[in-house]
Amino acid sequence: MNTLERIARSPVTALEFANVLLTTDDAVVGATEREVIWTHRGTTLYRYRSSQRQYPVPLLLVFALINRPEIFDLRPGNSLIEYLLGEGFDVFLVDWGSPGEEDADMGLDDYVCDELHWAVRETLRASGEDELTLLGWCIGATLCAMYCGLDRGGEQTPVRNLALLTMPVDGRASTYANWIGNPEFDVDRVAQQWRLVPGGAVDFANKMLKPVTNFFTTYRRLWQSIEEGTARREAYQPMAKWVADNPAFPGRVWSEWIQMMYRDGALVSGRARLRGRRIELGRIDQNLMVVTAGADHIAPRPGTMPIFDLVSSQDVTHIDRPGGHIGLIAGSAAKQEIWPVMADWLRERSER
Amino acid sequence: MADRNQGEKRSPEQHVRALYEDAESNTARAFEEFVSKPSFGALLARSAENVAALTRIGSDVADLVVSNLRIAGRADITRLARQLHRTEDKLEPRRRLGLKRR
Repeated sequence: MNTLERIARSPVTALEFANVLLTTDDAVVGATEREVIWTHRGTTLYRYRSSQRQYPVPLLLVFALINRPEIFDLRPGNSLIEYLLGEGFDVFLVDWGSPGEEDADMGLDDYVCDELHWAVRETLRASGEDELTLLGWCIGATLCAMYCGLDRGGEQTPVRNLALLTMPVDGRASTYANWIGNPEFDVDRVAQQWRLVPGGAVDFANKMLKPVTNFFTTYRRLWQSIEEGTARREAYQPMAKWVADNPAFPGRVWSEWIQMMYRDGALVSGRARLRGRRIELGRIDQNLMVVTAGADHIAPRPGTMPIFDLVSSQDVTHIDRPGGHIGLIAGSAAKQEIWPVMADWLRERSER
Repeated sequence: MADRNQGEKRSPEQHVRALYEDAESNTARAFEEFVSKPSFGALLARSAENVAALTRIGSDVADLVVSNLRIAGRADITRLARQLHRTEDKLEPRRRLGLKRR
């Protein structure tokens, strides 16, 4: 198509472009059938229906406190949950809900010692098993690692396998640390004033890590693909809808997260405590799979690597691939490139 | 040689597009470098503090207006929701005991 044709077609392109953006909210995200197993406050535990379960050890998926966990089930045909069900796994998902002001006082201890702990208990109850696989992604992975590393006075966790996807462990060398790691920034005061850190603010900060790419190039590429007739609306819209769906971050947990991850590195130094109980990543002795993404700017690979020096697991698998923080696991190529590798790893460790 | 031949085959429009994409990726890199500077971080942090303070002031004023009109405001609803949470927190351990007995 030459320049004149492009100019001539630009009104049609503009209409189509506007239509894709304006109807993004109509995209279906998280369509796989599921049932509610348990709820507490805003947290919900779902079980996904499957008629072809082959592996008894259930799989509990845990996502971050920012964005929604529907990324695990993005769209029919490109859903990790749909894929895992097809491979014969018994899949559960923790949804942290959309916190309101009444949840502003929720801290890391509430999420790890209560919500996640109870979700694990309910998963075991519903599946009738004694052990499970925890699969966490982003902050969800850190919460899972904290759960496994928590001092239980000698009591064993029922976690057999631990899968950690693009997980931040030590963010002190990241761009975030340059922004909010400065002690002059009074995190506690901001958390108190905001009570709930707006999801939009967290999203804006994440996008500011790559401002031109996120605020301009994404839309320029969409325009170009429409112009060339290669736009895939069914792939663009669910992801765009998911990216724009940002629940608020409870103020207390936000301030604790910043302190632990970007200021004192308490998780790697073994000084982190929840309700007086110490978290030591050395207590992680489960079969461990860690997935890192080469182009991850949210949880850069160097910030994940310290986990390998800390855990005491005998069975450790590190999967490193090119790709971004979300795109690696939820992108269009994930079904061919990374899901089969993850499923193979799970399959070998999910027999009774 | 192959690259040069490919380059020769490019139309002027393709050249312009390649130049534009180069410029865009260079700009993106420059911005990424800029935002990773501590000085930008300080600016962003101070802006966040200001926005948070303004939000709090706005919210307090709105609550004051609503409560003076004898209408339940957000603070009242939050208080009720907190009471519900406390009840739910008390019930959860009982539920656990119930499950153990079963």
